[in-house]
Amino acid sequence: MHETAIVEGLMRILEEQAAQHRVTRILSVTVKVGRLRAVEPQQLIACFEMFAEGTVAECARLVIDSMPVRARCKACKMEFEVPRFRFECPGCAGGDVAVIQGQELYIESFEAGSG
Amino acid sequence: MCDNCGCSITDANRHLVENDRHTIQVLEDLLHENDQQADHNRSHFDELGIFAVNIMSGPGSGKTSLLEATIHALPPGLRLAVIEGDLETENDAERIRRHGVPAVQITTGMACHLDAHMVHKALDQINLKAVDILFIENVGNLVCPASFDIGQHSNVLLLSVTEGDDKPAKYPVMVRAADQMLITKIDLLPYIEEFSVDRARAAVRDIRSDLPVTEVSAKTGHGLEPWLEWLTAMSAMRRTMARRQRRSHDYVARQAR
Ligand SMILES: Nc1nc2c(ncn2[C@@H]2O[C@H](COP(=O)(O)OP(=O)(O)OP(=O)(O)O)[C@@H](O)[C@H]2O)c(=O)[nH]1
Ligand SMILES: [Mg+2]
Ligand SMILES: [Zn+2]
Ligand SMILES: [Zn+2]
Repeated sequence: MHETAIVEGLMRILEEQAAQHRVTRILSVTVKVGRLRAVEPQQLIACFEMFAEGTVAECARLVIDSMPVRARCKACKMEFEVPRFRFECPGCAGGDVAVIQGQELYIESFEAGSG
Repeated sequence: MCDNCGCSITDANRHLVENDRHTIQVLEDLLHENDQQADHNRSHFDELGIFAVNIMSGPGSGKTSLLEATIHALPPGLRLAVIEGDLETENDAERIRRHGVPAVQITTGMACHLDAHMVHKALDQINLKAVDILFIENVGNLVCPASFDIGQHSNVLLLSVTEGDDKPAKYPVMVRAADQMLITKIDLLPYIEEFSVDRARAAVRDIRSDLPVTEVSAKTGHGLEPWLEWLTAMSAMRRTMARRQRRSHDYVARQAR
């Protein structure tokens, strides 16, 4: 359940941001989560609903923007989406690749209302 | 009150709330606090030339047994210390202390992984000036520990032959995070015909072609040499880097005078 630690981080950011922008209600929150983070979306949402209770983010919708894994081949420089964690270049069949997307774990934005 | 959770947005007043809807961009890392603490831990290690190794595997793959075998097999000049992570018990740290190596137990309770703050607290209980290699045995779990930087320099992933050769494919994130992989309990291979070392290696190669994989038995000591050589070389490199860093600090300080 590393989702709890992630949501704790998220709640801390939301409360700081809400105070700073004088926001009294948060309607939705968008987070970017790379597939290499092994985060379970349903668990993240369940955890968020629990932690948000009694805060400015109560009832807010958590939108999870799941980022597929992408890599660049070091040999032939081709960029490609990595299907099912098979890190093999479709161009030259090389295995020496650098991950260029899929490690994300950050809050992109939130929607505020004042109701 | 809404039906779902008792907050005060209802269908009747939702439009009021939504009227002054606006989006605020944030772009902040969710594990920012942990990552900062991890960098802080690493700076302690770097300053003192300590090589910090995070050992990860599923429950019971032989992490503590590997450490016990390693303590006996490493050249005597190297000074070791161990941080043990476990959900509940003190057992693993006690096993290590029996071999004369300082060990601190962290019991994580509910958390199925170590985080950088827990490790930092444990560092207080170790005389870091007398350590060359710090082993951190993470909680037995093939998912969560990979998400948390604890300040280590390298990740070691263990897979025992009793767990099945399909595990690398099932836990690719762990395999991606690893710098070294050990297939453990290799002495049991004759009894477990279902486990194919070639299949396990092929599954690892698909995910991470350059990951070094070694077969070892903590029980018989078989196959430990490459692992021991790697530890020795990495430790030497860390000490050299720390010495160089100290020299350049001294130089800058002298110039400033
Ligand atoms: N035959 C054999 N058994 C081993 C070997 N290494 C460990 N074991 C056994 O496997 C069991 C678990 O070993 P541990 O070293 O406690 O494993 P661990 O990964 O530290 O376990 P947790 O910390 O509880 O996750 C013990 O009964 C060990 O005796 C090995 O190389 N060969
Ligand atoms: Mg153990
Ligand atoms: Zn966890
Ligand atoms: Zn290529």
